[in-house]
Amino acid sequence: MITQQQNVKTAIPDLRDFPLDRLAEMGGTPLAHSIALYRERLKENGVPLSSFNARI
Amino acid sequence: MNNGVAELKAHRLPETAFTAVAAGRGDPAVIRLLQGAQQSKHTMLLHAIAEAVGDGDPADRGAAAFRAGYELLTRIQEADPGASAWLLGLPHLGGWAHDGLIRLDQGTAPDLAYLACAAAAAAVRAGVPFELDVPVRDGHVLLPGLGRLAAGGEAAWVRLRYDGRHLAAGDGVGDGVVVASRVALGPDYGSGQPVPHWRGTPAVRVLADGLAWDVLLVTDDPYLDRYTLPMSAGLSDRELRRWRQLVQAAWEVLVRHHRWAAEPIATGVSVIVPLTPQSETDLISATSPATFGAVATSWPPDPVTMAETLVHEFQHVKLCGLLDMVPLAESGAEKVYAPWRQDPRPAGGLLQGIYAHLGIVRFWQSQRQAETDPDNILRAHVQFARWRVAIEGAVDTLLRTGCLTPDGVRFSGLLRDQERALDDEPVPGEARQIAGEVALDHRLTWQIRHVATDAAAVEKLADAYRRGEPFPQQDRPGVWVQEDVRKLGSSVRSRLLNMSYLEPARYRELCAEGVLPLSGADRMLFGRDAEAAVLSYRDLITGSADPQPDAWVGLALALHRLPASAPQDAFAAHLPVLFDVHSRLGAGYDPLDLASWFG
Repeated sequence: MITQQQNVKTAIPDLRDFPLDRLAEMGGTPLAHSIALYRERLKENGVPLSSFNARI
Repeated sequence: MNNGVAELKAHRLPETAFTAVAAGRGDPAVIRLLQGAQQSKHTMLLHAIAEAVGDGDPADRGAAAFRAGYELLTRIQEADPGASAWLLGLPHLGGWAHDGLIRLDQGTAPDLAYLACAAAAAAVRAGVPFELDVPVRDGHVLLPGLGRLAAGGEAAWVRLRYDGRHLAAGDGVGDGVVVASRVALGPDYGSGQPVPHWRGTPAVRVLADGLAWDVLLVTDDPYLDRYTLPMSAGLSDRELRRWRQLVQAAWEVLVRHHRWAAEPIATGVSVIVPLTPQSETDLISATSPATFGAVATSWPPDPVTMAETLVHEFQHVKLCGLLDMVPLAESGAEKVYAPWRQDPRPAGGLLQGIYAHLGIVRFWQSQRQAETDPDNILRAHVQFARWRVAIEGAVDTLLRTGCLTPDGVRFSGLLRDQERALDDEPVPGEARQIAGEVALDHRLTWQIRHVATDAAAVEKLADAYRRGEPFPQQDRPGVWVQEDVRKLGSSVRSRLLNMSYLEPARYRELCAEGVLPLSGADRMLFGRDAEAAVLSYRDLITGSADPQPDAWVGLALALHRLPASAPQDAFAAHLPVLFDVHSRLGAGYDPLDLASWFG
């Protein structure tokens, strides 16, 4: 049972306030893991594109 | 600002926001959550590219420009976090970072120097001085999200200097120097004075009933030229005026009749990419998960269609944003029927289509009340009825693929709840009939094209029929999706069916002229003589030595107009098997008798 107060688990680290010049220090952290996951998704799914023809 | 490595956390997505997106809505606060995640995603991809570039070869001009751009962006982040957030949230940057990562993984060189241009754009916004070398494209330096500065020469690279007030391209003295003041260095809303050497990115600021929307019309950024059709580069001033007027008119439709969609669109769509269609009557729109916030479309015929397109594509934008945060579908080989496509679709594609059409159903639900012209009222009712029914069936198909994650199953259930909440909305009989017929025609045409049958089981059925045996229920042939397993001829009948509600006036005109290349049976169908059409399609099939797939679909449509019967059910439920069994039997066999045997 999921309640409205809960959070959904997400796959992207929150980097909004993270100094860009310190990202290099992250090494083998969750950031590297997230990048690897993203790369895997790209390989699996290619580059999806929505394309809608309103006349169909 | 967060300075601790250990404090890195995943983006927060409250269940309420997940539910709001699944319900097809999402207020501006929810859209900002998705935007925040995109900013992080772009930062993450930028970091991956930076790691690959490393200290690199100092002689590599692109890598040097990248490093200079990265350093400048770091300074901007410190001086004006809003300006760096603006840049990292731009769809242009998303497209560039996405493509850069793919090129790295493919072993080809990314366009590293683009980051220097992008950082320069953010620095100009922030008033942060800089000096760096940038590439020149077609005589201009592109500043993504702002505009283009004339480079003043033929060189492939130029030094760009900015002192916080003036931007100069060139060596700073003598020929080839271009200077523009900061206040002028912004998008072009079509109302200001021309600025020497500067071409602001075309933009439009629209307002209706107090609600404003500010959106760029981008036709020159290579990372937003990524759709199935090319972007409309080089729009004239007149064409830009027409686009601005169209966006204003569409905005009035959205704000006055679809406020639920207008507010999130104003928050989440920052770029429209005008596309060049292959023909004047073609209307194509698209989004890409790499460019959150950008919607591409060819020129729509009217403001209502533009408004619908925005609603439709913004659904894709939202879902792409959510999918980056929460995987909903896993990749699978299986492809299935989508009621809005002519080709079989994977689970992820079907999910996108369902979600987009939930927005379309909502749009037409409200638009029915807004229209006053009888033809437009009919169109609105048919659109509403057709897509409402399509969603429920498509959700069932999606769940059967087994490709959804637990969050994906939950999301799909919430989608279906939304559709069911619209079930009680009344639709006039004529609109309901057209919607049902168009949907049936689409589904059966798709099945004839893409549903294969077990040849041995089909042969057994044909033998049993020849021998006059009862239908062997246990030997029903297996079927599976296989692209283009059969060919269909003309699509005139299908196009005419769609025209009957999309362009009723043109439909009446064409029917009156009687010049369309239709069979006699088709003419009876459109002439509302279903019984005669049934007999005519039957005779066509029975008397032909070759399979007649178009006639089989036509026969199903004609039966659909008559009272319920066993053949009607068999045609609607088992058309590919019926067709293949009849093909095995050969000419002379009555398709209606065969369908009754199936029933």
